[in-house]
Amino acid sequence: MAYRMCVRVLLRSSSLLACHPGSVRSHAEFHHTVPSLCSQSQLNGSSSSKVLVHFVNQSGVKSSVFVTEGETLLDVVIKKNLDFSGFGACEGTLACSTCHLIFEENVFDKLEPMVDEEIDMLDLAYGITKTSRLGCQVTVERWMDGMTVRVPQDIKDQRGKQEAVSSK
Amino acid sequence: MALQSTILHMARKNLLQESCRQLLIQTHGLHKSVASGSLEIAAHSQADLKEESAVSPAEEVQKAARVKSLKEMPGPSTVANLLEFFYRDGFSRIHEIQMEHAKKYGKIFKSRFGPQFVVSIADRDMVAQVLRSESATPQRGNMESWKEYRDLRGRSTGLISAEGDEWLKMRSVLRQLIMRPRDVAVFSSDVNDVVADLVKRVKTLRSQQDDSQTVLNINDLFFKYAMEGVATILYETRLGCLENEIPKMSQEYITALHLMFSSFKTTMYAGAIPKWLRPIIPKPWEEFCSSWDGLFKFSQIHVDKRLSEIKKQMEKSEEIKGGLLTHMLVTREMNLEEIYANMTEMLLAGVDTTSFTLSWSTYLLARHPTIQQQIFEEVDRVLGGRVPTGEDVPYLPLIRGLVKETLRLFPVLPGNGRVTHDDLIVGGYLIPKGTQLALCHYSTSMDEENFPRPEEFRPDRWIRKDASDRVDNFGSIPFGYGIRSCIGRRIAELEMHLALTQLLQNFHIEVSPQTTEVHAKTHGLLCPGASINLRFTDRK
Repeated sequence: MAYRMCVRVLLRSSSLLACHPGSVRSHAEFHHTVPSLCSQSQLNGSSSSKVLVHFVNQSGVKSSVFVTEGETLLDVVIKKNLDFSGFGACEGTLACSTCHLIFEENVFDKLEPMVDEEIDMLDLAYGITKTSRLGCQVTVERWMDGMTVRVPQDIKDQRGKQEAVSSK
Repeated sequence: MALQSTILHMARKNLLQESCRQLLIQTHGLHKSVASGSLEIAAHSQADLKEESAVSPAEEVQKAARVKSLKEMPGPSTVANLLEFFYRDGFSRIHEIQMEHAKKYGKIFKSRFGPQFVVSIADRDMVAQVLRSESATPQRGNMESWKEYRDLRGRSTGLISAEGDEWLKMRSVLRQLIMRPRDVAVFSSDVNDVVADLVKRVKTLRSQQDDSQTVLNINDLFFKYAMEGVATILYETRLGCLENEIPKMSQEYITALHLMFSSFKTTMYAGAIPKWLRPIIPKPWEEFCSSWDGLFKFSQIHVDKRLSEIKKQMEKSEEIKGGLLTHMLVTREMNLEEIYANMTEMLLAGVDTTSFTLSWSTYLLARHPTIQQQIFEEVDRVLGGRVPTGEDVPYLPLIRGLVKETLRLFPVLPGNGRVTHDDLIVGGYLIPKGTQLALCHYSTSMDEENFPRPEEFRPDRWIRKDASDRVDNFGSIPFGYGIRSCIGRRIAELEMHLALTQLLQNFHIEVSPQTTEVHAKTHGLLCPGASINLRFTDRK
């Protein structure tokens, strides 16, 4: 019981820290290394709003979903349970390129610049285009309302097929 | 009756045609593109598929018949293999044998090693195909000896030795903590403390030589740096590996680790020797177990120490602060045995891999002073004399290029393994489920088609003109790819980037009269075949 309480206290204090970056702590304490416990909109002090995003899967089927600002497109695919075979194998840790998405040019040009690690992984993506990005690195913002993103024709990842078979 | 057989015959024919069509689509060739070539990388367009379906069924059957069985696959004979490995010491030349075999038998070939049957793949696009078709829990290969030791001692498996759901559970816990670049960047100050000690140690070691500039056997130095760096992150403690007097416990661990790698060859022999022969040839297995005992003991001491500190803090109702180990102990997403195993295996995996790469990097810099000067100028321009952090690395593309190019020329893992989770058609061969594959990374990284003038040391080949310039490819994937890629990749990169940057800020790295030409040898990992001795002269 004491152990569980301790965890709760720890997580509460770390979430406070995540929201107050000015807190003085040693550099590599664990709350810095766990995923941030409050969303971007909380950090910015704004209330989260919904953004409409259209996804077109490998077969050309369109899914339109309302998304919370501050989520990554990989989060969206997982949370909304969108049926894209083999999508996001490494859970957003920049160790694969299976969350590869293709953007409209006008949207792509406005996205935050890529970090080196994303560019490295994109080089290994299947069916790459000039407007390709990794979904785990693109955070939804209000201006994206109504955008369409496309999953490449063939990710060449058999995991999805396996899951489809096992779920039948 | 006749009607029934006609229907059966037609059904079989349709089934054959359909399965042939599927095979044909699967084996549709992957478009090859040179490293930084066009963006048109291997994509099946709808037009391609329409074009395929326009082919007549008879032609399809004929085409699909080209899918060959493993019997037809070329490769060395079992006798030739045994001679190569046991008589000609092939274990220390695995990387060279890879290239020789690829030249002789083609980019996909089979071989048998004792009871083990292996299909080797030395083609970039075939490697890509295999890695892209992975299951949710890819299997690297036969870790029987590791598992046997753990069963014998009642130990848990860790990330390297575990498979299936057990592996996935541990990976899911750890990857969220140490795989994202932004999460690892927070360790910069801890790593920089270790780098400061490395620089100090270089000065101490060179002062012991007649010329006051040469450091002998730099791999020993980098081994201690890597061990200190990894332990700082994993165990949240300093081990004292870079001190003049190394603490007894750390020295015991170093001895156990050296034993582990020195016994690699004998454990490889043991893998090919049946268990019933162990009483007659006991040494390999005994050494293997003894080294693991030492590694586990070391981890257990450090984990238990941190656990008792946490318990004391809890008793006093103090807030618990800490890093990776603290997080694992507090959240209890893994049990204690799993924590021991993972801490042991991650430390084991994180030391030699980093130290060999740093040894090769400094050796290459010493042998290419013009390139060293270019990299130093970039470092000086970006940082001045300031100590770098993880946030500075993106502005040091030549430092990143230096590490990538070193790992291309000397990939720590010259090959990687995968066991097929499904029937797979690769290079025109049907590879059945459960086949052990060897992905020949050394061969692909030295292939002219993937990297023009591959034998040349050119860190600038990794510099991009812009974000759409493609420079990486499956020819060089030293950390692997996908869900079973190296979990410590970002930690290793941080340690190497920060160490190399600060070594260049402090020293000219030069060849000395004691520097010989050093070639690689395989010792489980690809390591320097002899001591690397270099001069470290102060930058004025």
